[in-house]
Amino acid sequence: MTDSILLTTLDEALRWGKGKSLWPFTFGLACCAIEMMSAMGPDYDWARFGADVFRDSPRHADLMIVSGTVTKKMAPRIRRLYDQMAFPKYVISMGACASAGGPYVRGYSVVDGVDKVVPVDIYVYGCPPRPEALIQALKQLQDSIASGKVRH
Amino acid sequence: MIPIESESKTKDGTPVVYISKENLIPFMKEKKDEGYDMLLMVTGVDYVDHLEVVYHLLSTKDGRRLLVKTKTDEEVDSVTGIWPGANWHERETYDLVGIRFRNHPNLKRILLPEGWVGHPLRKNYPMDKKQYVNLGEDGEDKVSYDPKEGY
Repeated sequence: MTDSILLTTLDEALRWGKGKSLWPFTFGLACCAIEMMSAMGPDYDWARFGADVFRDSPRHADLMIVSGTVTKKMAPRIRRLYDQMAFPKYVISMGACASAGGPYVRGYSVVDGVDKVVPVDIYVYGCPPRPEALIQALKQLQDSIASGKVRH
Repeated sequence: MIPIESESKTKDGTPVVYISKENLIPFMKEKKDEGYDMLLMVTGVDYVDHLEVVYHLLSTKDGRRLLVKTKTDEEVDSVTGIWPGANWHERETYDLVGIRFRNHPNLKRILLPEGWVGHPLRKNYPMDKKQYVNLGEDGEDKVSYDPKEGY
């Protein structure tokens, strides 16, 4: 570092930092949550990518991973928790159910997609998605934040 | 001796007993005295012309099982006085199938929000009439047919 020059702007450094210090919000709604737990566990260990501090309070978190079926009774509660999160905040919709209702879409109690409730940044496909897919979504979100494509 | 309507067996050999709904409570008391000390499950079935309540009993001492079935129109006596664990099972059966349990201590919906219209596991439940849920100011559930008023 002593004989080289690092050129950056304050904005760029800030965005880089934002992407690398995401605090996810534990939001397991169904079986996708098992894959999410696996992604944060020792086998896949997504703490390597700078998103390890899973929080139980929306006020501590800035990334909501909606992992599972969104029921009509749960939807207004998701909205309330999303509103309680501090800026900047991002949402990953994990799996077929959270993205579009999945196999339960014709049921009486299921919302067809969490994007009807909160704005979604990244959709992950799969039923359920493997932990690698969730890690790819996280990397994609981090790159989008760092390059300024996603701003909240 | 309490009269039973008919008797049969399931594929795995568990005895099935049909009992009239008037005799249900004395019959269940007798079965509990015979050693069926655990109520595994209460559920309801809609056969279009009548409803049926199914009780799964287990004796934890020797592993015997018994299925008790009752035909009913909509109302049947609650067995919470005999097995207190029946409380939530009966609330779920009320919520989804719409069977009302007499003398139940707290018969209200357990899964669906308060104010939901109809019982979804009934054959005549209108699937095309969507209902939407939102939260009120005090955190209570509000149900409406208008998509603008909920999710």
